[in-house]
Amino acid sequence: MTFDPGLVHTPLTPFAPDRRVDFDRYGRSIEFHLCQGAQALAVPMHVGESVSLPDAEKRELLTFAVKTAAKRAPVIAHVSDAGTGIAAALARHAEAAGAAAIVATTPYYWTPPLAMILEHFFQIGAAVDIPFFVLNAPDDMAGIKINADLAMKLVARLPNFVGVVDASLDWQFMIELLTEAARLRPDFKLVAGTELMVSAGAIGATGMFSALAVIAPKLVRQLFDLCRQQKLFEARAAQEEIAALCQILKPGGIAALKAAARGLGRDYGDPRPPLLPLDGAAEKTLLAEIDVLPALAAEPRGW
Amino acid sequence: MQNKFRGVMQSPVTPLRDDFSLDLPTFERLLDFHVRVGAPAISWPHHKGESLNLTVEERKLFAEAAVKTVAGRVPVTIHVSALAVEDTMALARHAQAIGADGILAITPYFWTPTLEAIEAYFMRLCTSIDLPVLSYNSPSYLAGVEITGELMARLIETLPNFVGVKEASFNSEKFLEISRAALKLRPNFALLTGVEFLLPSVPLGGIGSYSAAGSICPNLCTELFDSCVTGEWTRARELQFKMTRLWHLFKDQYPSSLKGGMVIMGRSVGPTRAPLPTATPERQAYIRSQLEDLGILDSEPHGW
Repeated sequence: MTFDPGLVHTPLTPFAPDRRVDFDRYGRSIEFHLCQGAQALAVPMHVGESVSLPDAEKRELLTFAVKTAAKRAPVIAHVSDAGTGIAAALARHAEAAGAAAIVATTPYYWTPPLAMILEHFFQIGAAVDIPFFVLNAPDDMAGIKINADLAMKLVARLPNFVGVVDASLDWQFMIELLTEAARLRPDFKLVAGTELMVSAGAIGATGMFSALAVIAPKLVRQLFDLCRQQKLFEARAAQEEIAALCQILKPGGIAALKAAARGLGRDYGDPRPPLLPLDGAAEKTLLAEIDVLPALAAEPRGW
Repeated sequence: MQNKFRGVMQSPVTPLRDDFSLDLPTFERLLDFHVRVGAPAISWPHHKGESLNLTVEERKLFAEAAVKTVAGRVPVTIHVSALAVEDTMALARHAQAIGADGILAITPYFWTPTLEAIEAYFMRLCTSIDLPVLSYNSPSYLAGVEITGELMARLIETLPNFVGVKEASFNSEKFLEISRAALKLRPNFALLTGVEFLLPSVPLGGIGSYSAAGSICPNLCTELFDSCVTGEWTRARELQFKMTRLWHLFKDQYPSSLKGGMVIMGRSVGPTRAPLPTATPERQAYIRSQLEDLGILDSEPHGW
């Protein structure tokens, strides 16, 4: 089994003023991503505030996304949870709802030994027959990360474990992973977990998860296409523009992304508690900083 | 103007006799070997050269030998980082006095200094000599202490002899942060990776690296660099993956495994000083099996 997701957009989740998911806007958001170069969607990732969605809402959101995408692009379901059984149940639901693949990271909160992290992933992957990606995101997960040895043990046990989405940005890990995978599962995929794609693409990443596509879909697509064509020197300029955008948005996290999207005419409302929106002054400063980025001039306004 | 610190630069190990004293004739032979097989520059003593297990006097003695033996054939930089900053300053002045081409210095050890303290340290170091200074960023070994992109920019703006960095984070975000800050201000700033991670760094403005495995596989070092700068990515990937397997082999008990590997390549350099272990015959046998598996024994020079 293999799965090449290509450029994967990871949409934000819009909330109404009463903090309910705003499905009308969510539908518009999915249309926006599909029209702006997404080759697949992954929902709801951390940037989509997955951890702030109760189980039933996660399921509803995924079902809605699959229906709205209507096979125009595959939908990857993010099924991470603290409890292995809960995550596996989400995985089963995702398969039944028509997701093309699932993705999961290490358990929330717990710091189990590596053998139990392996078991966690095994049970999630074994719950379904669709492709399964592991998300390596130590920055999001208090430093907990996977290593190549764990990944290869999982390869040996799970025929549907097709790749790693790497947000560690760690060159040593990425190279070791692909070196080991080449022996055991040659079509194993390395997918860049962020838009820092040039180095990952040089190493052999073929896919990319993008949260910034909600702000700069053209730039993201340009970067991805150049990397995918192995035009790595040519990709450097786009990579640096992405880095400039990241530098502005990263300190404010999801609140900054939502503020920037609002500034571009795509209002996702405020983040859900416990995250706070940017205050008025911070939002104004952020928008002013983004406004002067040359790369943003060509990006779409509105939905 | 092209920076003279580019390509895969070699940092020799420190040869020792069986009684752990310095082995000067073997050091001279090793320096000559590196230059003959294509090192674009020499830098000594990195951690791989057991810098922190040598006395300041020993470091001065071999620094002088390095400059004399290389004799201008390629640039020689001296790694001056020491536990006590006063020793670092003395080693830097000494490097200048003996005619070295530059120095290399890591952020201070042990104290987990603030960014302001790191800035003051490099300001003092760079203004105390006229030589080019290369900085060394290695947060994973120094409890997260690092030179940020912003600090790098301030140092470049202030110090004309602050000419490069040995970047050892091996992380896309960190490398990009520094490359964006540095190359904008000084386009010929030497952006070097700590060991041979050239494939992910050259497309982002990297111009070389220091070498972990160069005393084992100088040909691989040269081929990897050439394939990266000419954009032959498929070939570069194959060579980088091979080089990374060597890095994982040698970083375990670094540099004693490397010294063990040199025995197999016909270039014995003696034991490793405590507290680092010396590679056992069993470890050497394992290294040999790995070098055979990688084809190194057939593709790289044997003996001096």
